[in-house]
Amino acid sequence: MKRFEPKIVCFLCKWCTYAGADLAGTSRLKYPANGIVIKTLCSSRIDSEHILHAFARGSDGIFIGGCHPGDCHYQTGNYKTKRRIVLLKRVLEQMGINPDRLRLEWISASEGNKFARQMTDFTEQIRALGPIPKYDRKEDISNG
Amino acid sequence: MNLPYYPGCTLKANASHFEDSAIKAMEILGHQLVEMKDWVCCGTVFSQTDDDLMLHLASIRNLLRAKEQGFDELVTLCSMCYNTLNRSKAFIDSDPDNLKKVTDFMYRENIEYDQDIQVYHLFNILKDRIKYETIEKLVHNPLKSLRLGAYYGCLLVRPKEFAIDDFEEPTIIEDFLRILGAEAIDYPYKLECCGAYQTLTQKDVSVKRCYEILNSAKKANCDAIVTSCPLCAYNLDFLQKEIEKEYVGFVNIPVFYFTELLALALGHTWEASWSELHAVDPLPLLKDKQLI
Amino acid sequence: MKRIGVFICHCGVNIKDTVDVELLTEQLENYPGVVHIENYMFMCSDPGQNQIKAAIEENKLDGVVIAACSPTLHESTFQNVIEEMGINKYQLEIANIREQCSWVHNDKEEATRKANLIIKTALEKLRLNESLSPVSSPMTKRVMVIGGGIAGIQAALDIADGGYEVLLVEKKPSIGGHMIQLSETFPTLDCSQCILTPKMVQLAKHKNIKLYVNSEVEKVEGFVGNFTAKINRKPQYVNPDICTMCGDCIDNCPVVVPSEYDEGLSWRKAIYVPFPQAIPATFTIDTENCLGFDPIACGECRKACKPEAINYDKKPETFEEKIGAIILATGYDLYPVEKMAEYGYGKFPDVLNGLQFERILSATGPTGGKMLRPSDGKIPKEIVFIQCSGSRDPERHNSYCSKICCMYSLKHAKLYKHKVHDGQPYIFYIDIRSGGKRYEEFIQQAVSEDGVIYIRGKVAKIYKEDDKMIVHGMDTLTGKKIEIKADLVVLAQSMIPSEGVNKLIQNLKLSTDEHGFLNEAHPKLRPLESIQSGFYLTGAAQGPKDIPDSVAQASGAAAKVLALMSQQEIYHEPIIAWVDEEKCSGCGICISTCPYGARALNFDGIAEVNEVLCEGCGACISACPSSASQQRNLTDDQINNMIDIILQDNLENSLEKEDMI
Repeated sequence: MKRFEPKIVCFLCKWCTYAGADLAGTSRLKYPANGIVIKTLCSSRIDSEHILHAFARGSDGIFIGGCHPGDCHYQTGNYKTKRRIVLLKRVLEQMGINPDRLRLEWISASEGNKFARQMTDFTEQIRALGPIPKYDRKEDISNG
Repeated sequence: MNLPYYPGCTLKANASHFEDSAIKAMEILGHQLVEMKDWVCCGTVFSQTDDDLMLHLASIRNLLRAKEQGFDELVTLCSMCYNTLNRSKAFIDSDPDNLKKVTDFMYRENIEYDQDIQVYHLFNILKDRIKYETIEKLVHNPLKSLRLGAYYGCLLVRPKEFAIDDFEEPTIIEDFLRILGAEAIDYPYKLECCGAYQTLTQKDVSVKRCYEILNSAKKANCDAIVTSCPLCAYNLDFLQKEIEKEYVGFVNIPVFYFTELLALALGHTWEASWSELHAVDPLPLLKDKQLI
Repeated sequence: MKRIGVFICHCGVNIKDTVDVELLTEQLENYPGVVHIENYMFMCSDPGQNQIKAAIEENKLDGVVIAACSPTLHESTFQNVIEEMGINKYQLEIANIREQCSWVHNDKEEATRKANLIIKTALEKLRLNESLSPVSSPMTKRVMVIGGGIAGIQAALDIADGGYEVLLVEKKPSIGGHMIQLSETFPTLDCSQCILTPKMVQLAKHKNIKLYVNSEVEKVEGFVGNFTAKINRKPQYVNPDICTMCGDCIDNCPVVVPSEYDEGLSWRKAIYVPFPQAIPATFTIDTENCLGFDPIACGECRKACKPEAINYDKKPETFEEKIGAIILATGYDLYPVEKMAEYGYGKFPDVLNGLQFERILSATGPTGGKMLRPSDGKIPKEIVFIQCSGSRDPERHNSYCSKICCMYSLKHAKLYKHKVHDGQPYIFYIDIRSGGKRYEEFIQQAVSEDGVIYIRGKVAKIYKEDDKMIVHGMDTLTGKKIEIKADLVVLAQSMIPSEGVNKLIQNLKLSTDEHGFLNEAHPKLRPLESIQSGFYLTGAAQGPKDIPDSVAQASGAAAKVLALMSQQEIYHEPIIAWVDEEKCSGCGICISTCPYGARALNFDGIAEVNEVLCEGCGACISACPSSASQQRNLTDDQINNMIDIILQDNLENSLEKEDMI
């Protein structure tokens, strides 16, 4: 039987986590290939609607990477993200989506190790959680 | 109005004149100090170095008694009781583990502890509830020309979480003395420790501390010292005999409890029994200032 | 539909070994919009670039996706390539299939599948990319420096020397700041005034510097390169062109007030020169204390003035100045002793703050440099210096370290010993922080040569007994209580942002930390500028600092400003927010979200974006409840399309998954 390969959408801020992911590459660290990256200038650009949209489209997990507190290129963007994600996780729970499927991490440009570790760890966690419940997926998709 | 009153041990023993004067002064102000039943020691005499739990048990039992009797607040005259009861309350209110530790000892109690009960010092009541302005209007025998040094000691202002006023520079006693018509004198040692229970085991420590405090007040030309703690009052008053021996040339200075002066200023006559419980007789001073 | 070309790089073997580039080419050949696709060994090489150019020309491409290394490496290279071919550079997307794909995966099948998706997300984004041009606005080549202390003076001189016009705005009647009050400076003990006054004179004579003393900035409008500042100037009432500086007015003035220059230790008249070396060197009438502009009330100075230089009818003036950048050098004040119960609320004349002691040490001070204490003019034989007075005390005062006090308390002790050889200085300290060039040596020398006694502990209380100040403290190293009968106590008061500066900061909409010190754009990498473009920070306005640090920061900020001034126009990345006016409800959430003050409601109640101020973080866009705000070239639609394409594969494989469950 084929192993379940989760689909993961990663939103990475350009200044810290995207650069951290590049460093993981230049350091030739290995991690699972499940996450596909969407680059934003700041983690605070990521709207709750994007996350819900991705879950509705069948994403098994969503990873958000931002700068460490105090290091945000835009001063306070990461704090805004933090607040948004904390609230959104409560909403996810009510929607029947395990909030662990959404992960926010602070990864700096020098933390290639941490990025690779997080990717591995998150992929394994989502693999253990199994595919996202897909009760409304087809309906949602057929509605467009 | 009736005020649920927690006396504490000292006021029932060798400081009964403090209680007596307080009850009478409060009557003039239109309030009854109603003594709660079945109270026990506040717990302060247990040494914290031996067991830091025991002292809380006594305090909490007192709060349970008060609740049984339908009180939601307690008033005390003693700085130490005020401090101990409040610290115990904070000890168990702040941490469920502590609450459990304490309530494990309370299995014979009929009711459970809750946080609703408040503990006040009489100064809280005088200042915030009756208001100093109101008291000022009722002063019939203003303590004119009496130069008084307010002595706070430690427990009324430390630790700062339970401070009745600013813990570095309190003025609650000075303000009180001024409304009674006296002159409140500032002096550097008003917040220094009197030696407290060291007086039982290392009397020389307390003697030295009390000498420094009294001397500091005398240098600032105080006629007498006013305190709100029976233990401070005892040390400052009764140790003067030892101080005389130790420090040649030391001249006695009377020590008042704030309730005595309140009663006197409100027009109550100075009672002979009060004088008897003082080591340094305050009568000559009061006569000299024509207050009695 | 856009005609897109996809170029997949092998990067030698770096990509090709892990990603099946031929398969990728095949897979994406018929992807919607793709009219050309090829792979090559080194896309970034000259032949590779030429291949791209040829393909653009041949296929009339108007969008390009390069699947190669991280965009941090060659995005600008390829942008230049397509710009050369007449395509807007924002029609390029890089698919990062090296750092984030081939280098981090082993399994070729997996990596190829991922690379496919990475390229598809790039294609989806590119499909909706607009052609943008950098936002530009003209540059006003003038600079305003607020604050005339050493930091402001240094910054103004550096910029003026660079050839640009500088306005220096100072609240007080003279420039010079606190540094002019100091006696000698650590660790070299050179005379503070001797090193400062030449700079002040240089500044006053500089052809590029315009000085506004007695003035305050009321308002600043506009944005980087295009500010308009409103400056209010209080009149001096003395015409400097006529005044002969004879001083007859001072002799006749009946009003005596404490001198600011001497920190209240001496007196001045209501008409005065702040200090002998003041720049500008003119008399000023202090309107708060002058008995009256009503000549009937007083008028003594005017009567005494033979050249008739005094005119009471002068009114405050307001100036509007156009500037391109602003340097804040607003400096510090000392934490008031009046707030400290433990040290006597400032009631004792023989308890001084550090600046007052500087005046006593100074040859131009109230005692003419003689070491005498204020109460009775006696020579103090024992002095207690208390460090961290009001600092590092989160319970009652300020939590932060004021940084300079360790050094200046020791300097005080040393200078005192130089004047009173048989005197004994004591210093109460918590820690000694002597990081700085030759600072530690300075301390060691004072301990070994000058007999300064250091006591580790904090002073609990000071009170007066007879003519002595009794200092109660604790030596925490021995655990003993200490009582010192001192003749004089000097408090190293905490540094706080200068008085009244919070009002200015609010007017300028700048951010501060919890203590009121200005926030830098980045604590490590952008320490000289504010997050608000066009504002630069120097000196103690940004945090406690000594003279060398203030001067270094001032020159640094000046260099930043010079770089800005050297541009004809200001260019700005156009990846910024914009607003769909049809959708905007004018709720204003975006305004509170924006860290740059780039958002405002217009007259129609619609939220606008100031394109010059917007940095493009996107916080306002995700906060917008009606999706009226969008980010250029990263719209909600683009993000959602990318998400869809990532997950499309998922849908195709969903049957397989169902089998598993």
